[in-house]
Amino acid sequence: MRTKQEYLIRYKDGNLYCELADIWIDPSKPVKKALITHAHFDHFTFGCEEYISTRETAILLKERVGDNIKIKTFEYGEEFKINGINISFHPSGHILGSSQIRFIFAEEKWLISGDFKLQKDLTCKQYEIVKTDYLISECTFGLPIFKWDESNKIANDISKWITNSPEKTSLLFCYSLGKAQRLLNEISQTNFKGNIYSHGSIHKMNNSYRELGIDIKDTIKIENKKIDEHKGSLILLPPSLSKGSYLKNFKNIQTAFASGWMSIRALRKRSGYDKGFAISDHADWDGILEVVKKSEAKNVFFHHGDSEALSKYLVEKESINVLLFGK
Amino acid sequence: MSLKKFSELFSDLDSINSTNNKVEVLKNYFLSNDPIDNSWAIYLLTGKSNKRFINGRYLKNLFSQIYEYPQWLIDTCYLKVGDSAEVITLLLKNKTNSRKKKLSNISLNELLSDTIPALSKLNEEEKYLEIKNLWETLPEDNHLIFNKILTGTFRVGVSIGLITKSISKLINIEEEIISHRLMGDFKPSSDSYEFLINKNINLQELNSKPFPFLLANTIEDKIFKNSINDFQFEWKYDGIRMQLIKRSGNVSLWTRGQELVNESFPELVEKMSQIKDDFVLDGELLVWNFKEQIAFDFSLLQKRINRKSPTRSIQIKYPIIFIAYDLLEINGRDIREIKLENRRIELEKYFSTWQIKTENNISDIFKICDLIFPKDWPDALTYKEKSRENNTEGLIIKKKTSIYSSGRKKGIWWKYKVDPMQLDAVLIYAKGGSGRRAGLYTDYSFALWKDKELIKFASAYSGLTNIEIKELDKWIRKNTIEKFGPVRSLKPEMVFEISFEKIQISKRHKSGIAVRFPRITKWRKDKKINDADSLENAYELMKKIS
Repeated sequence: MRTKQEYLIRYKDGNLYCELADIWIDPSKPVKKALITHAHFDHFTFGCEEYISTRETAILLKERVGDNIKIKTFEYGEEFKINGINISFHPSGHILGSSQIRFIFAEEKWLISGDFKLQKDLTCKQYEIVKTDYLISECTFGLPIFKWDESNKIANDISKWITNSPEKTSLLFCYSLGKAQRLLNEISQTNFKGNIYSHGSIHKMNNSYRELGIDIKDTIKIENKKIDEHKGSLILLPPSLSKGSYLKNFKNIQTAFASGWMSIRALRKRSGYDKGFAISDHADWDGILEVVKKSEAKNVFFHHGDSEALSKYLVEKESINVLLFGK
Repeated sequence: MSLKKFSELFSDLDSINSTNNKVEVLKNYFLSNDPIDNSWAIYLLTGKSNKRFINGRYLKNLFSQIYEYPQWLIDTCYLKVGDSAEVITLLLKNKTNSRKKKLSNISLNELLSDTIPALSKLNEEEKYLEIKNLWETLPEDNHLIFNKILTGTFRVGVSIGLITKSISKLINIEEEIISHRLMGDFKPSSDSYEFLINKNINLQELNSKPFPFLLANTIEDKIFKNSINDFQFEWKYDGIRMQLIKRSGNVSLWTRGQELVNESFPELVEKMSQIKDDFVLDGELLVWNFKEQIAFDFSLLQKRINRKSPTRSIQIKYPIIFIAYDLLEINGRDIREIKLENRRIELEKYFSTWQIKTENNISDIFKICDLIFPKDWPDALTYKEKSRENNTEGLIIKKKTSIYSSGRKKGIWWKYKVDPMQLDAVLIYAKGGSGRRAGLYTDYSFALWKDKELIKFASAYSGLTNIEIKELDKWIRKNTIEKFGPVRSLKPEMVFEISFEKIQISKRHKSGIAVRFPRITKWRKDKKINDADSLENAYELMKKIS
């Protein structure tokens, strides 16, 4: 067995790092070269000299943080070389532009899953099965209690939730990038035909998605002041607005949060929202297991989330070598 | 009409916050279902049923066997979810995809009066097969309710008050009547539901039932602006609040939790039967130190509560007394609407007649509560401070003009509890919580100094705000020394002010002391662990009190 310094990719200062290429993956502090898996802010940091991502991710990032960053882009599947290492992006199904990153060096394959899901999502490319020797996978929902329902079932539940309270404005909190667009796409296929409004941050992302050719229902940009005047309508808001005093000004509202964590009653109750819809852009337990198996990886590392149980399960039940990453 | 509808009701109630909407949902549910299923719904929602058919551990084992799941994995999931029934429900998802959901329309009545009780007659093998079969034939949406009923953990945020409101709205009869009809034993049946929604009020109908209890609120500052003479003062005893009812010659003892406890206290039932009048008394049951005329500790009362038909020697070892606070009904006349001060006059009058006229001495088991007469508010405070000496928890203050309504009515009765005892202690262990606190470390153990060592002296889980809980949870995860199953030992760094009600010597604990009702009253971020109290301080506190 190799020591951790000898792995092609390892943890350094809490981030994934490939020493041979001197390149970081989704670093949390400024570095020279950063590969970015997708445009969520917890995977991006300002101040890197150069970013490399898919074309879609680059467009979304620039829309969010401005043009003032240097990004090199590649298409999915297009190989490029850094210091003799072959690198390529592959769809991860998380949000538009999101990718897994494959490294090939001396006939050894490494795959960083990025954030991923296998579930249907018409607003981004479907997860692509990529074979590898070493897999570094996310593990946000790494317990078997997490099993997602079909997204159209959740969309129907949301539609029912709105139409059952026609005298109220329904506020649905969700992440501005990815989740909001997926929900819009799904909800437009349900029986709910009322108005949909969205917060500025979401509205902006909707437009970007549309420019990138994704079919998103047209929404009205909400003016903050009059939220509770939209009886029977749906308003999409980012979760940050549910905290603090913002909501206190409104009377006739009902609130909900769309997140995978909402599948647990205790978390739902504690969240403070009236209702929770369990829909996630991350893989559930079965999804992670499927990717681990289909990737044919002999060695698996987990990062993001509590991976103790999943690791033990893979070792005991599937005899897959799960390695620890020294952080 | 079915488990299915009840599951929908549960999920609706679970996600509605407004009381009015909940009442509306309940009303509609009652309108559209059979009386028998409605009575079962009320039975479940009011928590009258918490019979456990199988326990959580058994449920988890069963799942582990049937679906070949490692037990440790289920336990890990449990830590996140905090409820056995829910863990199994989540794990069952997509596992039981047999096409024929034969039981998709099983009625609540069928499930609760036949299917589930029948389980207890089966041997282990049959039970295993039957539960597996039920999981496979019940629709997935109903698994949570089913598992919760099985494990006796069905609880939902519906108070008896909400049920009362919705029935009251449904048939347009005052809530007081409905609430009285709901008191006492409620056996699920069409009859019991029909009785509940009967529009004709028959005065005899409620003969066997206690009145809804009137409860005291926590003291409010504004009360001190009033004249002391407006109030009646009583000691706040730490026993079992009870209504002692004698109607048509029959005595029944009802606890505030609406349990009939005649069988646990036969000597009281026998003595009270000898009194000539009929009556309803509101009072407290205690184990009594007759020599010193004060109550014994609550722990002695616990030795009597769950013991049915106690032997003579138990009765002598733990002598009980019923202390009456109030007279609510006398010889069929409901006097709850007259003023407290006048009810008190009646109570005293009748009590003295009973003492004289009853053949056997009743005062060895029954008395009326002594009143306290503070001169002014500072004097009342002095009484309160003295309450520990006679084993009471403080004072109860009642407006003399108050009528006996129901529930925790504001502005008429107050409890004025003695200030708790406090020590500053160091957090040393944390354990994962359950229910709403699942996935967070919310059960804490605290230690005091003994020389240079920290000795555990109390565990507490209440008192922190949700924000503090989250903050502390983060800290705990970063400062764990060791994990033992769900418990983590922690770096000694955090100091908390712990309040408690009682402190006494205990040989069972390493610290040598035991405290009652410990709770966190302050996160002392301003204190270092060296500022925390020592066991010495605890012993001093104990001396001061005794």
